[in-house]
Amino acid sequence: MKIYIKVFAHLRKKYPNVNDLNPLELEVNKNTTVEEVIDKLNFKLEEIHLILLNGKKVSKNQLVEENCTISLFPPIGGG
Amino acid sequence: MNYGYMGKWLKVNLSSKEMSDFDFPEDLLRKFIGGKGLAVYYLWNYAKELEKKGVNIKEMDALSPDNILFFSTGPVTGTRSPNSGRHHVMALKSPLTGSIGSGNTGGTWGAKLKFAGYDGIVFEGKSDTPVYLSIIDGKPELHDASEIWGKNTMDTTKWLQEKHERKRAGVSCIGPAGENLVPCAVIMNEIHRAAGRTGLGAIMGSKNLKAIIVDGNAKPQIAKQEEFETKVKEHVEKLKENGVTGEGLPTYGTAVLVNIINQNGLFPTKNWQTGVDKEAENISGETLTEKYLISKHPCWGCVVACGRKTKVELGPYKISFTEGPEYEAIWALGGSTNVNNMGAVIRANHYCDIFGMDPISIGSTIAAAMELNEKGLIPEEDLQGLKVEFGNPDAIVELTWMAAFRQGLGYWIGEGSRKMCEHYGAPEISMSVKGLEMPAYDPRGAKGIGLNYATANRGGCHVTGYTIAAEVLGDVDRFTIEGKAELTKTFQDFTSIVNSCVNCLFLTFALGLDEYVEMIGPITGWDITADELLKTGERITNLERMILNKLGITGKDDTLPKRLLEEKMPEGASEGQIVELEPMKQEYYKLRGWEDGVPTPEKIKELELEI
Repeated sequence: MKIYIKVFAHLRKKYPNVNDLNPLELEVNKNTTVEEVIDKLNFKLEEIHLILLNGKKVSKNQLVEENCTISLFPPIGGG
Repeated sequence: MNYGYMGKWLKVNLSSKEMSDFDFPEDLLRKFIGGKGLAVYYLWNYAKELEKKGVNIKEMDALSPDNILFFSTGPVTGTRSPNSGRHHVMALKSPLTGSIGSGNTGGTWGAKLKFAGYDGIVFEGKSDTPVYLSIIDGKPELHDASEIWGKNTMDTTKWLQEKHERKRAGVSCIGPAGENLVPCAVIMNEIHRAAGRTGLGAIMGSKNLKAIIVDGNAKPQIAKQEEFETKVKEHVEKLKENGVTGEGLPTYGTAVLVNIINQNGLFPTKNWQTGVDKEAENISGETLTEKYLISKHPCWGCVVACGRKTKVELGPYKISFTEGPEYEAIWALGGSTNVNNMGAVIRANHYCDIFGMDPISIGSTIAAAMELNEKGLIPEEDLQGLKVEFGNPDAIVELTWMAAFRQGLGYWIGEGSRKMCEHYGAPEISMSVKGLEMPAYDPRGAKGIGLNYATANRGGCHVTGYTIAAEVLGDVDRFTIEGKAELTKTFQDFTSIVNSCVNCLFLTFALGLDEYVEMIGPITGWDITADELLKTGERITNLERMILNKLGITGKDDTLPKRLLEEKMPEGASEGQIVELEPMKQEYYKLRGWEDGVPTPEKIKELELEI
């Protein structure tokens, strides 16, 4: 099934053209977890600070859904 | 003289041109630290003096000679402790809000004031002609400023540095907006750093005070040098290892927040009608870095370097060099207005810097004007042909400079959203608290920041208690109201400590209360504990609140715009949410020992504030 990935801040060093307006389309099997998606994208789990699935905060064990959007953030802050 | 301090504050009476030095005894320094804390202490006593003279401070005009401006550093400022170039500016009354005036700024000026030999300066009265103050190598002098009156902050800074043959001297000044008494005017230092909220620049303008130039080679003495150096090294390591201060902020600046706040559905868009900006990517930190960044620009002694030197290479908003914009400015000028055009945002932010205005209040007020116009509430003749519409980049650029020079609709933009929306008969359109425009986080998506906006002493302000660090960037549930009273109180009291030290709030992403004990202890020689320090922060927050009470501000003013309390977030990751303020507020008052926004006599006694 298809899912969509958005990456932010320095996670874009690996995927410079992937952004909010241009998500990465990924083909995964049913029962795939977010952790497996992170691995498939060649990120280390410790690089990821916040995971959103369709905007909702989820854990690495969350199962992905067909046509969902996964947003991945490293630690960031400001203000 | 006490360790960490220069041991001298300067009092300048601008009416009589008299100047004198004064100092605070050690017990007061320990009770209020410096920066904001000592300013609050001074303002409290000054308010009492005015009352004794029969001045009604509730009715007092913020631009009258009776108002005072207090520039202050703290014991950490100007030491080798990281990110300590900052200073705090306060006034008894803000021309924008009618509440207390308060602004904290980066740059180098705070450190250089200490190198010039002073911990702080208080300005009273009003000069009959434009003047500026110099403090060079410990010697304060007032000078005629007629040659620089009318100049922007960039030209003023260069003129003063050349005149005094001190190219690296610190210059704090106002631009045309401050001279024109625009209530959204700021005090700028190093051209691009602002004591940026509550209209402090207009107060400086009302006193005919154009600038303060400082320079020298004096240094604060450290009580326990060896221990201090060890702690400085440890703190720098922690800042470098931390993901926020070691990588996110240095690489992308504060604008790195645009995407994460928008993805969480709390990026206020179209004057807070929604929390989702569908094209926020175009004004994000990533886009700024990729297309507009020249280089990073740290403040004095900073190991983070979130400041940005930027340019716009092509198009109508072309500019070869400027600084910023910061996250809040990007949001106010480009998100709230739905103008997803980074070039226009950079140009409008540049105007705010050189004319001396607060981009949060200006951008937010422009967004309110766009909503007023959408609803047909601004007469055609007031628009003068300008398309004051969401998404129009020309509108933000034009209205920003028009605000500085009080032209056309710009007059009302400079007055701030509360006065503007009242003028056009729709006060509910103003997204402000206590008259101060709220910054870039919709509290329907993070309830604690809503409680902080409602209760922050200076009004709709994020940096009084930045609960976003826990609620969105950390692990605290952002939608629950449980525990938010305590979270808000803790953030507010800790921030009072930071603003009194004075160093950078961004340190707190990596350094906690214990590290602040490790700074203040060795610098001052005080055997201080974390408990004492937190109590000091609480004392400062409470005394500031007691000044608000004198100004007539109480629990009725600790509220939020109706939109946030009643209109559900229409879409996105915070869809369906409102702010359940009242239960959080009552719990907060109980924790604070306040009744209806007023500290109780028991709390005042406990904090040794019967002064």
